[in-house]
Parts: sequence; C-alpha cells; structure tokens
Amino acid sequence: MPKLVQYRHRCIGCAVCCAMQPRYWRMSRKDGKATLLNADLKKSVYVLGVSNQVAEEMVEVAEACPVRIIKIF
Amino acid sequence: MPELLSPVGSFESLRAAIDGGADAIYFGTEQLNMRAKSINSFSLEEMEAVAQICKTHGVSAYLTLNTVMYDHDMQLIKTVLRRVKECGVDAVIASDFAVMERCREMQIPLHISTQANVSNVETVRFFAQFADVIVLARELSLRQIDHIAREIKRQDIRGVSGERMRLEVFVHGALCMAVSGKCYLSLHEQNASANRGACTQNCRRPYAVRDLETGNELVVDNEYIMSPKDLCTLSFLDEVIRSGADVLKIEGRGKSADYVYTTTQCYRQAIDAVASGTFAADKVKGWMEELSKVYHRGFWEGYYLGRKLGAWTTSPGSAALERKVYVGKGSNYFSKIAVAEFEIEAGALAKGDTIMVIGRNTGVLKLSLEEMVVNGEYASSARKGDLLTLPIGRKVLKTDKLYKLVTNDA
Repeated sequence: MPKLVQYRHRCIGCAVCCAMQPRYWRMSRKDGKATLLNADLKKSVYVLGVSNQVAEEMVEVAEACPVRIIKIF
Repeated sequence: MPELLSPVGSFESLRAAIDGGADAIYFGTEQLNMRAKSINSFSLEEMEAVAQICKTHGVSAYLTLNTVMYDHDMQLIKTVLRRVKECGVDAVIASDFAVMERCREMQIPLHISTQANVSNVETVRFFAQFADVIVLARELSLRQIDHIAREIKRQDIRGVSGERMRLEVFVHGALCMAVSGKCYLSLHEQNASANRGACTQNCRRPYAVRDLETGNELVVDNEYIMSPKDLCTLSFLDEVIRSGADVLKIEGRGKSADYVYTTTQCYRQAIDAVASGTFAADKVKGWMEELSKVYHRGFWEGYYLGRKLGAWTTSPGSAALERKVYVGKGSNYFSKIAVAEFEIEAGALAKGDTIMVIGRNTGVLKLSLEEMVVNGEYASSARKGDLLTLPIGRKVLKTDKLYKLVTNDA
C-alpha cells in the first residue's frame, strides 16, 4: 500500500495542500501548519497508508508544496 | 541620523549585522513571514536568544509577521506575539489588520510593513493609531518621501507611543516587479504563494515571447523581462537621508552572512560619513567596490530618483565579483592561545589565498593566508584531510565554515 508522508515540522502553513485536497488535509488552528488527517506519527514524520488512486491524486499536492515536505512512497 | 536596519536569517548573519554596525535587525520565525520558505529561519524557541544577543549589543530587534493571514493563523499569531512579549523583542513588522489589532491590545510596538503599500500622508495618519514606524512603499520617489516627512512634522502626526511617526525606506537589496511585493506569479505558476512567504522567484528566469499562430519568437533585447536589478542607494545616500527617512533598511533575510556584513558595514560608514560631512565620491567608489563583491543582480537606483523601471538583470543569479568556495569546517579552538583549527574537507588552500570564516560566534572574518600552519608545521599549502591552524581572536565552533574567496568568472 502506498504511503503518504509529511515532514510536518518544516510546514510553513501556506495551505495549498488543504486547498487542493481538503478531505485529507486541515489547517491546524493551534499552530497554523497543515495536518494530514488520520496519519500516524512515526519518528517525527506523519505517515498515512493510502490507496493507489489517492496516491496518484496526491502527486499534484506533493509537487505543489513549496517546501517539498509531502512525499509519496 | 537615521537608524540602520539589517536583515538577519541566521545566528551567523546576526553576528555579521552587529559587527557591521547595524542599529537594529529584523528577523522571522518559521511561518507567517515573507521569507518562510527560506532555509534561513529561526524557530520560536530561538527568539529569546536573538533578542538576548541584540540586547547585549545595544541593537534593536524587530520580528517580521508580515504575510497574508488566514483564520487558522489566529492562534499562532497569539502564540508568536506572546513570545515577542516574553523575549522583549522591540517591535513587530506587519501588514495584516489582525496582527495590528492584536499588537495594540497587547501593547506591542508595531511597524507597518511595506506590504501595506503606504504611499501618502493620509495613510500614515490612519496607521498612526496602530504603529510608530511606517515602512514606505518601495515605489515612491525621494520627493514624495520628503513631502510625507514634512507633513508628518507639520501636522505633528504621532504614533501609539506618543512619539512622532517615523518613516522607514529600503536602501539596498532585491527588488521585485510586483507592487510592494504583492505578487501572484509563484502562485499562478507553481501554486506557491509569495504572500505566504513561499516565493519561488519565477520572475528571475528568462522568458520568451512567442506568436502562437506562426510559432515565431519575438526578438527581445533581454530575456529577463521580469527581473529588476537590485536596489542600491549608496551613491545618493545623502539625498535619501535629507528626504527625512528615519530608518534605512537593507533587504536580504534569505542571504548569507557575508552579504549582511558587507552591506551593513558599507551603509554604516556611509551614514557616518553623511553625519560628519565627509560623504564624497571617492568614498562612494570604495563602498561600491565592496558591495559588488557580495551577492547582487547588478545595481540600479530604484524609483527614488523618479526614473522608470528600466534596469533589468541580464543573467541568472548573482553578479558578485567574488564567490565563496567551501573548503572546510572548524574542528577545534585553543582558547588560551586564541588559535583555531580547521579541517580541510574539499579543495585546497595555498599561501596568499584570501579566506573567509563564517560562524555564529565569529560572524564573518575575511583573512589573507600570509602564513600557514598545516598539521602542526609551517607549510605553503593545505589539501583535503589536512588540519589548518590560524590565530583567530573569537572562539571558532565546530559549526563554523571555512571558505576560499575566488574571483567570480561566471
């Protein structure tokens, strides 16, 4: 299963991921960074298992992130 | 005389700004500032250290909180402003009314960012209910600045603190083609919002104009049609000061410590020369030579002299006459004899080379290798794996970097 990974500590809160895929991303009102919904925190990175179709949809989001902290493995 | 305000994006640059003679520095933390994407950024935790170092050296510290703000940012704004209060940062630079209102409530001194595009005295009067300093729009001429400054005095416009409103202008550094930095190009091209601190500098690339019907490309005399040269007011700094600007700002939080050091030092000396009546062409020539050595895209005078925007870059990246080549890092420091040891990790050094040490404690040190001690013995060269020792008065840390300065042929 493909994995969606976010290096959240480097997020600058530009909100592009949330604008493109609001079902998966929320802007945190606590610290202004993007939160990957339902993701597990593993060694300071957030990881979410996704279907192949979602992984494909997220490619656009990963490319749009200006600080390149969203990866798909 | 006006205050000299320098950009700081790292502890190395902070040291460089202080050594260069800045009266004040401005910096950002992680998000909500126009250089958020820059790798050079402080964390919220580091704000205290920045403020403390500034206090120790009698330098004012201003925090930039100047992006477009969204609803989800409100809590973060509060958190950042609470840190500003706790750490004793001297003022916040902002353009969003949510930040202005919050600063007023929390009694935090506020400077209105250039993002607010303040271009007339009525707007200065409006912002006086929130702020004490206005960073004027970069598009004004000196005549317009002079008029605003005179009107502030004549109308006795006072800011929140009760003091007369002060005007800040950019004197040096990158300009962009957008009005007061309000640019949509990065967002349009790459979904990266410049107004959230994620500018991808699309304007700095070469572009072609093509006729879609015929496929023919128009011949343009310069492909860098959206990339203005950098602002440099040094040659007429006396006029800038006479116009009534109270704060002179250097752009470049994303730039390296040697840029911060050189630009700060040149403008410090120029301001002091204006103050003592010794500002003259021969001195300007010397300063311009120094400024040409560090990062720049070529220079022009900005809009201050009333000229149209007509100076464009002709090549990508920096036109600096010198460039740094990484050679090694600090490996030890012998405090009793004030000698630093560097491990050479790349390239080679020879007697007569000019080197630069950059570090959070050393700042920016430029040295000429007159005498070399390599692996404990006098030598005329050093290469990868060697240990080079140098007498340096300031403690060199393991994070210090050693560079060789070479002429930039590119």
